[in-house]
Amino acid sequence: MIIEAHDLRKTFIAKRGRGKTEEVEAVRGIDLAVEAGEIFAALGPNGAGKTTTVRMLATFTAPTSGTAKVAGFDVVKEAAKVRENIGYVSQAGGVDDNSPGLDSLMLAARLSGMSRKQAQVRSEELLEAFSLTEIANRPAKTLSGGQKRRFALAIGLVTRPPLVFLDEPTTGLDPQNRANLWDEVRTLRAQGTSVLLTTHYLDEADALCDRLIIIDHGKIVAEGTPTDLKKEVAGDVVTLRLKGLEEARELLAAQDYIKEVRAEDDLLRAYLDDGEHGLPQLLRALEERNLTLDSISLDRATLDDVFLRHTGRSLRDAA
Amino acid sequence: MLRHTALFLGYELRFLLRNPIWPVFGILQPVMYLIFFAPLLGSTTPSGSMADVLAMFTPGSMMMIALFGSLFAGFGLINETRNGVLERLAVSPAWPPAIILGRVAKDMLVLVLQAILVMGVAMLMGLRIGVIAFVVMLGLMAMTGLFAASLSYGLALALRDENGMSQIVQFFAMPLTLIAGLFLPVSLGPEWLQTAAKFNPLYYGVEAGRALFRDDLSNSTIPTAFGLLGALAVITLIWSMRSLRKMAG
Repeated sequence: MIIEAHDLRKTFIAKRGRGKTEEVEAVRGIDLAVEAGEIFAALGPNGAGKTTTVRMLATFTAPTSGTAKVAGFDVVKEAAKVRENIGYVSQAGGVDDNSPGLDSLMLAARLSGMSRKQAQVRSEELLEAFSLTEIANRPAKTLSGGQKRRFALAIGLVTRPPLVFLDEPTTGLDPQNRANLWDEVRTLRAQGTSVLLTTHYLDEADALCDRLIIIDHGKIVAEGTPTDLKKEVAGDVVTLRLKGLEEARELLAAQDYIKEVRAEDDLLRAYLDDGEHGLPQLLRALEERNLTLDSISLDRATLDDVFLRHTGRSLRDAA
Repeated sequence: MLRHTALFLGYELRFLLRNPIWPVFGILQPVMYLIFFAPLLGSTTPSGSMADVLAMFTPGSMMMIALFGSLFAGFGLINETRNGVLERLAVSPAWPPAIILGRVAKDMLVLVLQAILVMGVAMLMGLRIGVIAFVVMLGLMAMTGLFAASLSYGLALALRDENGMSQIVQFFAMPLTLIAGLFLPVSLGPEWLQTAAKFNPLYYGVEAGRALFRDDLSNSTIPTAFGLLGALAVITLIWSMRSLRKMAG
């Protein structure tokens, strides 16, 4: 286990003006077990407690209660040892705008104990790997978001850590840069590096991770591989828009090939394992009752359906 | 630990060498005071000679760079509390105090270089001081820089807000300047002003500087200034390091 956490909790005292304070329970009991070599994702809406969890594991924030071991060391008692074994790329990136990215890279390398020569060799390696050689000496503030993000990643990897934390690594990136970053994360796995990433993008968690947790309001609501989690819901989703929503809901819920029906605003979602064969039967059932469809679609179940099932709301609405 | 401080210092100096113009701007203000204001002070010294006026006025104008330069050093750090740089450094193998110490060392160095330039201008205008006084004055400037910069970083990390910080620095800079007798010795003023000045650490710096420039090397204000500024520097350094640790909540 590269990460083992038991009942991690964090309560912040937030100032509310005029001397008043308020307790905010950002993380309310998280248990984690991440295997070495895994890409592990924490998926959840903004404010779910993902960043606070990562910050506790990376020794930035001290937990209010609970324990965690990262790379075999306690995050509170052996923070220095943990820091030697992790790379941490925060949401903000942490690239100094005023200096060239190469300077930040060299500083990070030398702080970890490398000699000037070793630091140069390692920096050049990373510049090459992330296609940053040509812009290595430009002040970071002149770089694009994607370039800066690549520098942030390179700085996080400078010590060849066995574990890297990536907090919202693709937020604010355009689709091209996002796809590139996914490739870079996959390369990390190929090299045996463990990755814990947080994201509020469903497709990112789905495409990238081996296992994930879904976090909402500071708690884990589901855990597993993307495939298993989706299977738990159903293989396929039929989304219908029609008049007579309530009647249709009752009707579909009674069909034995449909696992579950959920009404959401003006549409219905029917979960079923074999959508291709279920769909004609479903249409026939609706026709017998003279229920007229406005629209219908058949999709594979996504992690959003998993989220919906566990929290009662869609991740798109949860932010 | 010393290695980490040196690494941070080196990083800061590289930045400075790429943008060497800003510290030069910092000395324009005291140099203008020397050129345009010092000549008005002929009647305040017994002899009225330019050399005496400069011996009285130059230390004050040097403290001005400390106040209006080093005291603003923390502004850059406020941005780094938001752009993730400090967050990254806090979970890196870096020795945490080095994050502050490296910067403070840079600020001290800048202040000493600025002090050399200001003293150079004053000497061109007719100031005469001995080598020992010159060197001890640089030491005093380094100590003032250590205190002012640590205070600035402490404020920056505690407030983490540019607007609040600029208000507070401005609020303190003005009375500190006046009550230290930066422009004219407070000994020219009434009793109550002299008493008030005794509570201003900058006052001792200015008085020690004036003693040095009079070649009065055994004057008690010199060790007092070093001791006081040194002690305050240690306190503010500890404060800023604690604020750094508390940043994460």
